Amino acid sequence: MARPHSISGPFPKIALCSAFGLLVCSAANALSRATETTPVALYIAGVLLISLPIFYRLTSQDAPTGERFALVCLLGLALYGAKVVHDVPQFTFFDELIHSYNADQITGRHDLFTANPILEATPSYPGLGGATSALMTITGLSVYPAGLIVVGVARFLLVASLFLLFLRISGSGRIAGLGVAIYAGNFNFVFWGAQYAYQSLALPLLVFAMMLLAEREATRTRTLREWSAPALLAIAAVVVTHHLTSYALALVLATLALAYWHVHRTWKRPNPWPFAAVAALAALAWLLVVASSTLGYLTPVLSNAFDAVTNTIAGENPPRGVFQGTGAAVPATPFVARAVALLALVALVAALPFGLREFRRRYRKRPFAIVFALAALGFFGTLALRLTPPAWETGNRAAEFLFIGLAFIVASAATAALRRWADRPLARPLVGAGVALVLVGGIISGWPWDAQLSRPMRVAAGDGTIVSPPLGMAEWAHDRVGDARFAAAVADAGLLLHPGGKVAIAGTSPDVEDVIDGEALEGWELPLLRENDLRYVVADRRQFSGDALRGYFFARRGAAATELKPRTLIAKFNHVPGAARVYTNGSITVFDLRGRR
Amino acid sequence: MRGNRDLRLVAVASVACALLALLVPVEVLSLLFAAPLAFFLPGYAIVSATFVRARLVAPVLLTLSIGTSLSALALGALVLDYAPGGVDGPGWAILLAAVTVAACRGAALRRPATNGKWLPAWRAPMPSQAAYLAATTVVVVAALVLAFANLPADRAIGYTELWMQPYAAGGKTGVRVGVGSEEQHRTFYALRVRLKRTGPTVRRFALEPGESRVLRVASVPAGDGGPMRVSAVLYRPGHSSRPYRRVSGWTPSVGAPR
Repeated sequence: MARPHSISGPFPKIALCSAFGLLVCSAANALSRATETTPVALYIAGVLLISLPIFYRLTSQDAPTGERFALVCLLGLALYGAKVVHDVPQFTFFDELIHSYNADQITGRHDLFTANPILEATPSYPGLGGATSALMTITGLSVYPAGLIVVGVARFLLVASLFLLFLRISGSGRIAGLGVAIYAGNFNFVFWGAQYAYQSLALPLLVFAMMLLAEREATRTRTLREWSAPALLAIAAVVVTHHLTSYALALVLATLALAYWHVHRTWKRPNPWPFAAVAALAALAWLLVVASSTLGYLTPVLSNAFDAVTNTIAGENPPRGVFQGTGAAVPATPFVARAVALLALVALVAALPFGLREFRRRYRKRPFAIVFALAALGFFGTLALRLTPPAWETGNRAAEFLFIGLAFIVASAATAALRRWADRPLARPLVGAGVALVLVGGIISGWPWDAQLSRPMRVAAGDGTIVSPPLGMAEWAHDRVGDARFAAAVADAGLLLHPGGKVAIAGTSPDVEDVIDGEALEGWELPLLRENDLRYVVADRRQFSGDALRGYFFARRGAAATELKPRTLIAKFNHVPGAARVYTNGSITVFDLRGRR
Repeated sequence: MRGNRDLRLVAVASVACALLALLVPVEVLSLLFAAPLAFFLPGYAIVSATFVRARLVAPVLLTLSIGTSLSALALGALVLDYAPGGVDGPGWAILLAAVTVAACRGAALRRPATNGKWLPAWRAPMPSQAAYLAATTVVVVAALVLAFANLPADRAIGYTELWMQPYAAGGKTGVRVGVGSEEQHRTFYALRVRLKRTGPTVRRFALEPGESRVLRVASVPAGDGGPMRVSAVLYRPGHSSRPYRRVSGWTPSVGAPR
């Protein structure tokens, strides 16, 4: 690697341009929060302002490797900034609320393995909560800024490790830079993968471990051991941070070991099979000894996905429509946006054969490249999973890992094209635009169109600040209710967890959902609440009360979702013997089932 | 650590950061010391102790230091969980500083003296580049300030909350009734609280957006000490004569927890 350790070339100008892009993203979100009609295109324009100059520079042949490294780090952090300005001043993704609760529990109780009432498996993987607790307890910061910083550092690690990994495998700074740029186009990079959740830390650690093993493979025998210690540390960190990522890591390393054997016909060092074994055994041991509840969490998800796929193939279930809204409240993605997303996918499909040809020509003797090629092919398999509702989540999760391979293969194709048409003035702009297309397409595919921009949760009114109805309810619970358990719809339960700090149950196990959503109380429902010690019930007439993405915000005058559900949703609790109606804000009413004491 | 200026610097910095991060009472200032302690120094020390022969270029060294620090953070909480104080600030500060100092010591024993030459060289940016980077910082700060600003949102539908909380004090039992205005404008209210033994209590008041008011209504407990029914109805005079919000419940029975 070249060693230019100064900030050189056009980097400062590009950084300024990215900063303006972030400002545009921030302005688009601010306008949206102010309930002004804001086109998502403004936000996309901000993303392009961040990324296009970086992409164009990365296509250059003469940019030093150090500058490319700085550019991909800038890209990763600026796109993370685009997510951050979407959600201030508090977390609004459902998983973020769950993990915030865990971090608050760790710092409040000084104990790592606490309980989470909604996602039971999460406290068994305390890597993220533990890391956040370091900042929280040392500085006194709340979980929001501490979590933002931890995930921000993890984002840096992700893009930096990915660049060094691609650089080591390809030997080309241009492939490495473009590979990271293309990886930013995976569906989850901007929003879902940047949330405060355990995979947001585990995935960067996985890529970091892969980078270390790639460096180890390339080193001389006498320095092999030096790479082993940090690699083992990273593997252990992944195991205690996220279940699926630890299994993915074991699988990747096992495939890598096989690929190494395929190329070199030996199991001797530097074949990484011992690392695969360590990862697999550690993940298994953690699952069995510490995180056995994970089985109950993952098994239904995976088996439902499998059943759904077989049913869809057999024609028993219709395929899931992509980019469709749900009724009048959630609009469908506009045609132009859908076209861009599909075009991005077409661009990836079109680049794949050329990338595989480059792989066959240049990298087929590189075990890592073999794994990348397999992953690139596997990525398109996961797209099929997105066509069935229960398998969608599985496909979405898998795609984030497999896209690493696809990014490398497509970057190889792009670099080959740039080499071949080096004298054509349009070659670099076209490749840069193609990468931008993949990025924008990924953003559109990865997050619902109506949720691309932030919504009002805290707004200025008069000389004060007012908060959204579910947040107001959660803050009331935080201030006025002692240790008690709540039954609530999903969105309310999320805010009751954080910032409410209450134990809140939602969903179907136990079947709180039917208790909340039914228009009348069935005979089994009150006993169910008592059995689960659910003293408070949150009845919510809002259309989005059960929506983990949209249920936290102010209703907007003139929007379709302002229409409330029937009054009976609340009225059914008025006649429960001994129940007190202790809180109401119009759309949300809280009942204390033990009000008469 | 003689002859290894970088290790001496990292070891001293880790102890200083640990102390200052704990002692400085302002969160943001504390973060200035806690961030390197958490995200860089332990990783740098561990990497220094591990890589004696391999020469690392700056991007690799930076990535290794941050990645190893993050790994140590994710795993460190497990260690603290079994420590006497559990997962707390002093525990974290001591653990991170101890890991850093120990790893620096290990590195000093393993690697030959370098007098700091092991550190990658660094060229300061030129004035024009520095100006661009300064402008970048200003624009990023502007973006964050805009993001954190609470803006008016005229089309957000405001609301009013009404709540009731039983309480007992001074030989009396009753309820606290709270009204919180999350309306967009100054709003007038009439609150009518009916407690079985006292008759209705009526209060009229206005609240600005974000303001709240709490009313206490109490009476001597019933003869049997049992709970008494209480209801509160909120009206918006001038808007409608119909009740706007309604809550109801009981006063606590004598001896019941508040």
